[in-house]
Amino acid sequence: MILLTAILVGVLFAQSTYLILQRSFVRILFGIILLANAANLAVLAMSGDPSGKGVPIADGRTELSADPLPQALILTAIVIGFGVAAYFIALLYRTFLDWKTTDAGELFAKSTTDDSNSES
Amino acid sequence: MQSTDSPIFKSVAVVMFFIVNLFALYLLFRGHNMPGGGFIAGVATSVAVILLSFGMGLEAAQKILRSDPIRIATWGFLIATLSGVLPMFFGLPYLTTFNYKAYELPVIGDFYIGTPLSFDIGVYMVVVGVITKVIFVIAESTSQEHRLVRIAESGYCARSEEPIEEDPLRKSEEVPIHPDK
Amino acid sequence: MIIILPVLIPLLTAICGLLVQKSSIGRRWFFGFSAWVQFGLAIYLVREAWVSGTQGLYLGGWEAPIGITLVLDMLSALMVGMATLMTLACTIYGFYEQKVEDKHPLRLPLIQLLLVGMNLSILTGDLFNLFVAFEVMLLASYALITLEADDWDVRQAFPYVAINIFGSAFFLIGCGFTYGLFGSLNFADIALQSEQMLADGEGSPYQVELLAMLMVFVFAIKAGAFPLYYWLPNSYPILPPALAGLFSGMLTKVGVYVLIRWLGTVMPHDLDFIYNVLVWVGIASMFFAVLGAVSRNFIRGILSFHIPSQIGFMLLAIGFFTPYAFAAGIFFLLHNIMAKGSLFLCGGVVTFLCGSDDLKKTGNLWVASPLLGVVFFVQAMSLAGLPPFSGFWGKYMIIREGIALGEYVLVGFALAASVLTLFSMLKIWLASFWTENPDVKPRVDDKRWRKMTYAVGGIAIVSLFMGLGAQLFVELSMMASEHVLDRVGYAESILTGREFR
Repeated sequence: MILLTAILVGVLFAQSTYLILQRSFVRILFGIILLANAANLAVLAMSGDPSGKGVPIADGRTELSADPLPQALILTAIVIGFGVAAYFIALLYRTFLDWKTTDAGELFAKSTTDDSNSES
Repeated sequence: MQSTDSPIFKSVAVVMFFIVNLFALYLLFRGHNMPGGGFIAGVATSVAVILLSFGMGLEAAQKILRSDPIRIATWGFLIATLSGVLPMFFGLPYLTTFNYKAYELPVIGDFYIGTPLSFDIGVYMVVVGVITKVIFVIAESTSQEHRLVRIAESGYCARSEEPIEEDPLRKSEEVPIHPDK
Repeated sequence: MIIILPVLIPLLTAICGLLVQKSSIGRRWFFGFSAWVQFGLAIYLVREAWVSGTQGLYLGGWEAPIGITLVLDMLSALMVGMATLMTLACTIYGFYEQKVEDKHPLRLPLIQLLLVGMNLSILTGDLFNLFVAFEVMLLASYALITLEADDWDVRQAFPYVAINIFGSAFFLIGCGFTYGLFGSLNFADIALQSEQMLADGEGSPYQVELLAMLMVFVFAIKAGAFPLYYWLPNSYPILPPALAGLFSGMLTKVGVYVLIRWLGTVMPHDLDFIYNVLVWVGIASMFFAVLGAVSRNFIRGILSFHIPSQIGFMLLAIGFFTPYAFAAGIFFLLHNIMAKGSLFLCGGVVTFLCGSDDLKKTGNLWVASPLLGVVFFVQAMSLAGLPPFSGFWGKYMIIREGIALGEYVLVGFALAASVLTLFSMLKIWLASFWTENPDVKPRVDDKRWRKMTYAVGGIAIVSLFMGLGAQLFVELSMMASEHVLDRVGYAESILTGREFR
């Protein structure tokens, strides 16, 4: 199971790397979201086999529950990733309204001759 | 955002709004020892609000929240923080839990009242406020043209007097960056 | 009990600021008062650390390896002091930079939230809480960097946001890796267990080294070290001067602080490969970044490029990895926070007076305002490392340690980079203050620049005090480096219920 998760993490990482290296910021956004998910899965996989590791706090009855710590970490990371993704989408949308493009090359090019960018 | 034309969806959305909210409250109050809690309940409530805004239009959804979502989030933030601060007045560390277990309440059953619950309520309000605010802003800006830009321009631009580097593209006279000159 | 207050007071202040969003004089007084209270508290914390050494606070009453732990030692107390000092100065500076009604209502609360993130990441005693604190800090900084940017500048936020999200993902993976390796995320617990693991011979040292390397990579992104600093010189200039001072002063330095904590307290002390890498990364960043600074000709650009350059000196000190070098690095860190931040604020006053910070469009300022000239000169020479200013003592300690270790090549590079720093600082000094430029008429009628200068002058006085009375600060840094490098002592004072030695 852990091997399968590890392979999945590898695939997700490869995909997100591919997406982040694209020129369009929309794809970079997707790549970043995928990267966050890959990182969450990696935390789950790296924390090892859940069986046998009990709750670190409660006395007794630990065999009934899995190790909660990685899950707490992942939940926090998901929430943070949600906030960052929302911020990034809003930033992307505003930039798109300003510049009418999300292409990194056009956005940062010094020699574009599109005059409509600073209107609106 | 336009409200939908389908009457079926409209009436279902209204009914579902209450059902989902009820479920959200259930999640909120069982969150101490069971799966659930403030975050999940907040997400459920915001999903209900978004569903309502699909059905009845954005204004209806904004009306039902009664105030700016960010204010809700801020009050929630304050409640969550204060429920952590409360034990400090008794000389205990920040976030120490005071918990009282009420046995055998009607309908609900065993129930915990205390700082974890108020913390969860605070988290619930933060999540509802933030998610609905994000959705509202993006939805508004897609329905009205360039709303985001107008917000940015009407308000407060940076006091950067000159472009970072000289660029022939930038027309310096048309950018209102000198609010006080 | 008192250790939580540097986190809690800014948090409550920010919430109050969010509740009352209407700009008014009273709101400003409230924020200013809160900043003063925090600064006073931070000074008390330094005294506390001086008197009673390392101590922990267990949130919610859960004992150390399980619950959230906050740790106060000399280094964290000093860093909290610097963070609150910079916030205080930048807040007051910001009051005069804009009129009350022009102010964005979210700026002050966001600054306080940024301070929450910084203080929490300085005080925290476990890895995951550090991740959360970093995210709080970064989200506040994302918001601040785009809050007042116009449509031209807003795109510069993309590299900043993208690289930091990237770094955060790796940070998360590092947390998972740590948990898998040691079964704990508490710094003290990791320190003990890594020692134990290497002593028992179970688990390969390469795993520990790989983990340390991964985290060093993450923190180097945050600090803006050599191959990873390209986002910095473009994104910092888009900030308004008050925020640029805070960002350049504190944000990257928090990365350096965490690096010191990670390598000094948490990881074993025999990772020679990493120390070598750090030394060369430090040399590369101080050299390449200062070349970038020389090539720029507007004040904010020059100063932004100096940030990675100064980070390089700190990395060099960490890479030497002796107690004395750590003390030197910490001293340099403290000096640099003040020097860098106040130079950005000075640049803001120059921009305010001349209407531009392009070096060709500034001038005459020595005549217009000798006070600003003195403040700028003190801090610029301090940054370049001339005696008797504070930068000199920091660089002197680092270079002395380099010579003692026989690393003459590194010392040569560091001195060359210092000369280039001096050159680019003199470029600003000559063009803005010393040159007579008939086209420029400084706007001295608007009296606000005076008060802005006083705010910068406050930092300059502390900085000057640090240079002239270096003995006190060297002692503090020595004590801080002692606290950081004493892994067993750290674990002893945090994990109270265990047997040691």
